[in-house]
Amino acid sequence: MISQKPLLTLLTIILFIPAFHACGGEETSDRQQSQPQTEEATLTEFELEHGIGPVTERIEIGDIDLDKVAEGRNIYEMKCEMCHNYQGRMVGPELGNVMERRSPEFVMNFILNPSGMVREHPVGQELLREYMTAMPFQNVQKDEARAIAEYLWYYHKENN
Amino acid sequence: MNNNKSNTLRGLLFGAGFIAVAAFIFTGCPSQQSMLDSRDAAEKVYVAPGEHDEYYGFFSGGYSGQLSVWGLPSARFLKVIPVFSQDPETGYGYSEETKPLLMTSYGFIPWDDSHHPHISQTDGDADGRWIYINANNTPRIARIDLQTFETKEILELPNTGGNHASSFVTSNSEYVIGATRFSIPYEMDLDVPIDSYSEEFRGALSFIALDPETGMMEMDFQILVPPYNYDLGRAGKGPSSDWVFFTTYNTEEAHTLLEVNASRNDKDYVAAINWKRAAELVRNGAGETMSAEYYHNYYEGNQGIAINVVKDQVTVLTPEDGQNFIYFMPTPKSPHGVDIDPSGEYIVAGGKLATVIPVHSFSRMLDAIENERFEGHVEGIPILDYDATIIGEVENPGLGPLHTEFDGRGYAYTSVYISSEIVKWSLETFEVVDRIDAYYSIGHLMITGGDTRNPDARYLVGLTKTAKDRYLPTGPKQNHPAQLYDISGDRMQLLLDFPTIGEPHYAQAIRADIVTPNVKQIYEMEENDHPHALLRVADNRIERDGDTVRVYMSSTRSHFRPDNIEGVRVGDTVYIHLTNLEQEWDVVHGIAIKGANNSEILVAPGQTKTMKWEPTRTGIFPFYCTAFCSALHQEMQGYIRVSAADSDVALTWSTGGN
Amino acid sequence: MALAALMLIGLYYQPFWTISMSAPQYPEGIGMHIHIDNVTGHNRHDLQSINTLNHYIGMAEIHKEDFWEFDVMPWVFGFLIAFGLLAAVLGSTKMVITWLALMVILGVAGFIDFYMWGYEYGHNLSPDAPIKVPGMSYQPPLLGCKQLLNINACSWPYIGSIFIGLSVMLAGGVIWLEKFKSNRPN
Repeated sequence: MISQKPLLTLLTIILFIPAFHACGGEETSDRQQSQPQTEEATLTEFELEHGIGPVTERIEIGDIDLDKVAEGRNIYEMKCEMCHNYQGRMVGPELGNVMERRSPEFVMNFILNPSGMVREHPVGQELLREYMTAMPFQNVQKDEARAIAEYLWYYHKENN
Repeated sequence: MNNNKSNTLRGLLFGAGFIAVAAFIFTGCPSQQSMLDSRDAAEKVYVAPGEHDEYYGFFSGGYSGQLSVWGLPSARFLKVIPVFSQDPETGYGYSEETKPLLMTSYGFIPWDDSHHPHISQTDGDADGRWIYINANNTPRIARIDLQTFETKEILELPNTGGNHASSFVTSNSEYVIGATRFSIPYEMDLDVPIDSYSEEFRGALSFIALDPETGMMEMDFQILVPPYNYDLGRAGKGPSSDWVFFTTYNTEEAHTLLEVNASRNDKDYVAAINWKRAAELVRNGAGETMSAEYYHNYYEGNQGIAINVVKDQVTVLTPEDGQNFIYFMPTPKSPHGVDIDPSGEYIVAGGKLATVIPVHSFSRMLDAIENERFEGHVEGIPILDYDATIIGEVENPGLGPLHTEFDGRGYAYTSVYISSEIVKWSLETFEVVDRIDAYYSIGHLMITGGDTRNPDARYLVGLTKTAKDRYLPTGPKQNHPAQLYDISGDRMQLLLDFPTIGEPHYAQAIRADIVTPNVKQIYEMEENDHPHALLRVADNRIERDGDTVRVYMSSTRSHFRPDNIEGVRVGDTVYIHLTNLEQEWDVVHGIAIKGANNSEILVAPGQTKTMKWEPTRTGIFPFYCTAFCSALHQEMQGYIRVSAADSDVALTWSTGGN
Repeated sequence: MALAALMLIGLYYQPFWTISMSAPQYPEGIGMHIHIDNVTGHNRHDLQSINTLNHYIGMAEIHKEDFWEFDVMPWVFGFLIAFGLLAAVLGSTKMVITWLALMVILGVAGFIDFYMWGYEYGHNLSPDAPIKVPGMSYQPPLLGCKQLLNINACSWPYIGSIFIGLSVMLAGGVIWLEKFKSNRPN
């Protein structure tokens, strides 16, 4: 099994070389984008750790802001809960303890850029392989994603 | 002598044969020139994959009752917007939210005949906010919102028989107009003999006020006019923008065999109405309030459910001498279209049985009114002297001129039905300068950006009535064709010929960049105020109230919640309120239940729609998502258990063991 | 001569005249065939289409029943065939000449009759016609093509006329041969 993977990658590359070559120029940009990029080297250290997306700097979750928690919970129930349980997998992975596994920045980037994450980020690719359903973008704004992170942080603290 | 005759015959036969051979030679293979022409035409209509067309074309559906949307010049079909007819493809007119839109004072009507779409205007130019369209059969006007490309409002017109001269808007969208094509007794439910036509029957011209912010319609007033057929209308532009014009035929007041009896008079009328003055008279109490039942259907707030408001009265203005707001201009002969040029000065009537195209002058009309150059009066309406208003007659326009549009460069284009052609003529000399065949029997034509003060006259679309041999044959009834012509040069050039949907009468085209910035991609979930929306898992529930069962259901890729339902009984009325929780553009879910006497219901992202289902037998009823939504779309399904009417199976629901 | 007479039997099977019209909205063409006993459309319903088309301008409808000619012509040609056969049996050149003269008279009369019908058809327009073009009449051409508004109408002899032509030529040939023979000094 394992030995097949590099072979496949090689095959893909060999197949695509003439394609890029033949068309030349700007033509190919679309294809390149839709092709999963397996070269993790292109990601920065921050991206590997905290995900790819609009959140590019560390976020401090200090004292719990209860207003923000309430806002985050509201959005979570409306736009996340139909596919995620707190405990146990559903359509997507459980989120009750997600703050233990991932950084708040990673969670926010996944919410804000789900298609980019499953396409370009090794963890996203792995999750897609496991769950078979790509998480959709649910029209969540950056500050709303921040509120969701606050809520999940709070939930984790309260329930552990 | 005998031999002479046979020689003549032989000669003739030989001659005919020669002509046939010559014709074959000339038409057998295309000349190099025509090959060049078709390459040129192909380039002009080519829009590369992924690129967008320059114009939106809105084609009425005619007897389909809908409105189809096209990209021009490529003639890409974009979508059908359901308006006056049920549409099982989307569930329009089948879902509980949209059924009220099709309610009328005659009850629920699943079909109508839509003719003339007209885009809302600001300063005489199309602003791309809304598009209005008329229902001809059971008189109504609909408003389609161009943010969502959905029908948002339908207003019924009382006291009207056949709302054909509709739905044209004035140049600042102050009013949208409607009119009676078939005069009827004004008091609608009056039971009178048909031959009391001249005494009892009347025409009604409707002026529907539009809200400048929301585009919402309100029946402001009707004008009571003699019992003619009011055929088409247009609002004036620029200097004439306070006026609207209607053509009339059947000034003979016939009520049977109109094709003969309504074609006797050499002239009928164009009615010119100063709507501003009429509205002022109404404000000052000149109108009379009459009872009339009609429906006004629209969405209120963000509930997403159309409501019915039943109106019971209408203000009616009956012209009287000295009121100076309505005049008749004699016009040859049974005129069909009446079209106003971009400057607002020329009023062109398509005298469908006339042998010329008569052109009235707006300024001469004002002079004639000022100087009281009247031929007579009919029911309080002055008839202007023909010679006082006419400024030109276009000779040799072909047989059966119908409709005219303008390019803003001094030329007019008239569709000619019987001789099946388009003639281009000069507004300066009133002479025909070009003509081109239409395939076949052209009705309306439309110019991109047309019927505005500034037509963006790149293309002309001819809407024809019969396809015959133009495409691969599809049986005795074929779809109606349309042709796209390039009119940017001196000569019209045919670029494209394509079949359409339904039976387009009029169409309008607007530059896409006016519309696209406002087009919505989703319904925002936060703004969903539907009383039966299911926006969060915790609210997931089924409620029973007697025989009524309400299922609050949500859909997301790729499951319904709940997807296992038990406790429904035969005899129940089940409402499935499906909320699409997706917030991604174009991710649509649908639902269909085995045996449901209903169409599927399609739900856009963030919307809630309701399917009504009355199970008639026991069993397990699968339901599934009808819209291919994701890789696990085939897994998106569920079961409803239906028990006997007297069963005591408890009402339960679940999803994935929760 | 018998052959000349028998040629005419073809007329019972094939139309001898055709009027065809072309207009932009009739890409497949439209027209009618005239037989000795009937008038039919090129296609099954062309006559109906022509009648529909013409009613706009008030032209009378064409119905086979309105033409007395169709009742008479089969008998006339029957007589001509019988007469021709008789002439052949009797071998009478005089009878052949008479026969030929009859054919010519009939031909001329036919043309006159056709013209008169065309004139009537094109000029006698219903006062109730929806479209009246001042000064316009719609008489179909006797022979050849003519533009009537946007319709190009053509009137030509048809297959049946070939039989007539051949028949007349044969008869003429018989007379010529007889003359040639009789003029030759024996």
